[in-house]
Amino acid sequence: MNQLFAIAVNTFKETIRDRILAVIVVFALLMIVAGLWLGSISLGEQGRMMKDFGLVAVTAFGLIVAVFVAAGLVHKEVEKRTVYVLFSKPVSRVAFISGKFVGLCATMAVVLAGMGLFLFALVWVVDGQPSGTVLLAVVMVYVQLLAIMAVTIFFSTLGSAILASVLGICVFVAGQLSQNVLALTRLGKNPVTEALSWVIYVIVPNLSAVDVKAGVVGEQTLAWGQIGLWTAYLLAYVVVVLALAALVFRRKEF
Amino acid sequence: MTTAPALRIIGLRKTVHVGFRRRAVEILKGVDFQVAPGAVFGLLGPNGAGKTTTVKVALGLMRPTSGSVDLGVEGLAHVGYLPENPYFYDYLSGREFLGFCARLFTLDADVRQARVEGLLGDVGLEAAADTHLRKYSKGMLQRIGIAQALVNDPELVLLDEPMTGLDPVGRVEVKRIIESLHERGKTVLFNSHILSDVHELCSRIAIMREGRVVWQGTVPEALADSPTLEDFFMKVVTA
Repeated sequence: MNQLFAIAVNTFKETIRDRILAVIVVFALLMIVAGLWLGSISLGEQGRMMKDFGLVAVTAFGLIVAVFVAAGLVHKEVEKRTVYVLFSKPVSRVAFISGKFVGLCATMAVVLAGMGLFLFALVWVVDGQPSGTVLLAVVMVYVQLLAIMAVTIFFSTLGSAILASVLGICVFVAGQLSQNVLALTRLGKNPVTEALSWVIYVIVPNLSAVDVKAGVVGEQTLAWGQIGLWTAYLLAYVVVVLALAALVFRRKEF
Repeated sequence: MTTAPALRIIGLRKTVHVGFRRRAVEILKGVDFQVAPGAVFGLLGPNGAGKTTTVKVALGLMRPTSGSVDLGVEGLAHVGYLPENPYFYDYLSGREFLGFCARLFTLDADVRQARVEGLLGDVGLEAAADTHLRKYSKGMLQRIGIAQALVNDPELVLLDEPMTGLDPVGRVEVKRIIESLHERGKTVLFNSHILSDVHELCSRIAIMREGRVVWQGTVPEALADSPTLEDFFMKVVTA
């Protein structure tokens, strides 16, 4: 536990001190501000546009950070041979993978908190009243990105950082669509495509189940009980994927 | 009564598979040697002889194909290791890096802090303790590398090319550290191409060539028929 915590703190320092992260966050904030302009050209829907565009920007930039940072975390340690220092000490591979993930979770929490609070403040200024659901939506983006970070770390134990990033983005897109694709293939009544979409639905994390953006802008009623259950599913998914990553990483030689 | 060796390597073989066709390359072809507790042991050999691989297998960074490694200490908690051409975390200061390494062992906070500060002094990096490692020179990185290898006060210290990249002052400092480890009863194994340092520091040496130990003994034994260790080394590796 001690080692996991030490690695997590080190990972947090590594990622939070990376200048590229600051650049991405500044871009994200600029994109959120651009929502003000979009709102101004939409008739009477300024607040809604602001929330909608802002949450998309938070998700997109959060995804960039999640995928590209997670893909490099394990890979960089192997490439730059800092693993020699770690694994010549009594550090288990499980503690290493878990510590890396926990550290990245902390960084992602800081990044999303920054973007979320900025969006919350802008929406407050535009709407004239605070909107707590915006912050809840950002929390649910965080939950989605936890799954993507775990998946990307898993892929990075198998191949290159670039491949892991690409696959991480693919899983994010598939996770947004898998539920709808399954529903559509069921309508088609083709057993092969239905079985295929079922397999994808089971393997890929169902991210759309915790996506509350439509609810925040008033297009959907939010069923928080169900969202809570899907959040628990995603957290269990993270544990399984990290266990697989540790299993793969245990076989590695340096 | 005989004392158990600090490190015993028996019949160590390691084959790796390289390239698209997974061609098998045997790096270690049956390495045998042992290091007595408290000794300063030099593992010598030309590039590609298998010295670094032997050390990596001993530490568990690589798995042996066959053979065995017996660390005479209770696990890696009592071992220190300096890799060859070490690279550390750019974004940490020297003090933060040593603190991080110390946290990987079950040390109390006050012991940890005292150890970190003591080692920074021992390797002459107090003035640069709060400088980020990316601003360190090669010699400074080597010194912080030695400090991290000693952060757990290990019984067995494995140093892979500890003198590489050091200026004469740095070399003297590292030699002093190795001598002080010896005086404190620690076991030191180091790989080096600088034979004068080996001559000065080591009580016993093993020479590797093409994945095997081709000669081992004491430094006086090596010098029995050769004027210098360099001559003896050349004789052994070119035989």
